Amino acid sequence: MAESLIAAGNQPWFDVANGILDRRIYSDHKIYQQELERIFARAWNFMCHESQLPEPGSFFMNYIGEDQVVAVRDRDGAVQVLLNSCPHRGNTVCRAEQGKTNSFLCSYHGWNFDLNGRLVGMPGEETFYRDAIDKTRWGLASAAQVQSYKGFIFATMDPAAPPLEDYLGWVGRLGIDMLASQGDMVVLDGVVKNRLKCNWKLAVDNLYDWYHVKVSHGSALRIGMLTEESMAPDDQMVILGEYGHGIGGPGLSEAQFAEFQARMASGEGEAQWYDIQARRRLDPRIQEILGPVGTRSLGHPNIFPNLWIALTRQVCLRIPRGPFETELWWFTFLPKNANDEERRTTVFMANHLFGPAGLLEQDDGENWSHSTRGAQGAVTRRLPLNFAMGKGLDRVEEDPSGQHRIETVVNEHGQRWTYQSWQEWMQAESWEDLMANHSPAPKGEV
Amino acid sequence: MAVFENLSLQERMLKTYEAEEFLYREAALLDDRKLDEWLELLTDDIHYWMPIRRTTTAREVEKEFTEPGGMAFFDDDKKMLTMRVQRLAIGRAWAEDPPSRTRRNVSNVRILEIDGDETLIAANFQLYRTRLNSEEDCWIGRREDLLRRVEGELKLARRHLFLEQTVILSQNMSNLF
Repeated sequence: MAESLIAAGNQPWFDVANGILDRRIYSDHKIYQQELERIFARAWNFMCHESQLPEPGSFFMNYIGEDQVVAVRDRDGAVQVLLNSCPHRGNTVCRAEQGKTNSFLCSYHGWNFDLNGRLVGMPGEETFYRDAIDKTRWGLASAAQVQSYKGFIFATMDPAAPPLEDYLGWVGRLGIDMLASQGDMVVLDGVVKNRLKCNWKLAVDNLYDWYHVKVSHGSALRIGMLTEESMAPDDQMVILGEYGHGIGGPGLSEAQFAEFQARMASGEGEAQWYDIQARRRLDPRIQEILGPVGTRSLGHPNIFPNLWIALTRQVCLRIPRGPFETELWWFTFLPKNANDEERRTTVFMANHLFGPAGLLEQDDGENWSHSTRGAQGAVTRRLPLNFAMGKGLDRVEEDPSGQHRIETVVNEHGQRWTYQSWQEWMQAESWEDLMANHSPAPKGEV
Repeated sequence: MAVFENLSLQERMLKTYEAEEFLYREAALLDDRKLDEWLELLTDDIHYWMPIRRTTTAREVEKEFTEPGGMAFFDDDKKMLTMRVQRLAIGRAWAEDPPSRTRRNVSNVRILEIDGDETLIAANFQLYRTRLNSEEDCWIGRREDLLRRVEGELKLARRHLFLEQTVILSQNMSNLF
């Protein structure tokens, strides 16, 4: 394990009290290696949705940090997450992004592994190995734990990680519930993937960023597809959860929600920016699942470290590819019983807002790549970055239900919480250390 | 429907030349950033589509592209393409401000089918994009273009684009193909 770079420094990389960030965390190779060890190899990482593995042998290739893994449904119907590396010479045993197979055959020497990763045979077992190899010891490595929450399959490489539901906590579960509660969800065929020249954390912190919308996406807001009111409302709600999970973005006050309910009941048409999104929240079954505060949040959840759950019925993974590159993978969901119109609308929004040709997303990449590039200059990288918007000016309020939130204007609470939590993950020596020493979700003044 | 192969060499040359002339002019308008003029070359019912491609095993290679109507990089009608062009002109389209420099090569033009006013063409394309001082992107693929003669003028009625990349190795596709 690499020594803790952060603990060794004179000051933390993120000054929590003042919201000031040392931008070397976007460019330092040692920090990047430590992230792979202490964040990705430790966290619960999203693999895929149950619907992407419909039958035994169905597989989907993904990554845990830079470790390539294959999520596969075994013959008993359970999901295995196998490290895609043959223990003989290290070659990959699966080259396709997705598909169906009976086994994983290494293309180098022919070692063959079953759907549980067990080594079941190789050429020359009798003649060359002379039956002196213990096949039970040389299967594919597998994730330490694989669990799913409402069909979302996660894996962790760390046997000491807490159970998935504890890891997610109520905030992470709420984030997934916002999508999962919309029906019996399935992932549509076609995961959109593209590569950006930015550090992965810049892509993550942006999902909480409702400050950039009017500027970065100014062109998309002016052509009639979206409006400023719908995409960049001032009224915001932030919900912060343990281990770095959070939900940030538009939120309705109790009064706004009551007014919305009355307006919808009266049969008046849509009038406010939030009407289209909020309409689903009128369903008492969904209110029951999301709770009184969650029902009023129309923000963006992030499951730490890198799974954004978007309002477009999509999730986006931000997969690190070295300190200076990140892949974005968009998965699009639809209720199984959706009619043609609902399907058409969901696909249209997904295809035209996000992804490399999406009208919103195409303007993001260059901003993040230039932020990343700037962090490499010997002088530039010494200069801190300001994440202080709203710092010390808001309060966490607790609902009688126990759900707590900040109700405010556009802010950077979500970003600060992400970097504060990131720092704690990076300082922790182990899951035991992280569980003992991580910050609880903020209360009171933030 | 005329079977193209059954036509005389001279007829084949004339029809191919006419199609190529259109495609080169159309590519030049995009390279020259004359996007409003480019829109005028499209029929009102144009379908502009680029499906997603995935690496599959050889056994499942028929599943490498997503299906029409599903997830896609582009799945545009005339209105959507017009919005893309308007967006670039409106200011704050940062991925294209400063503007990228692009050059399109269209080659291997083959007429697949002629049906009345419509000609279905297969072509290869290469789109090189560079921007700022050091950004470079290159997309290569196959295209199926449907040309239709409308009031004597050739127009583009369909463009289906099949890229060779699976993971798009560019931070955006803010350009038109």
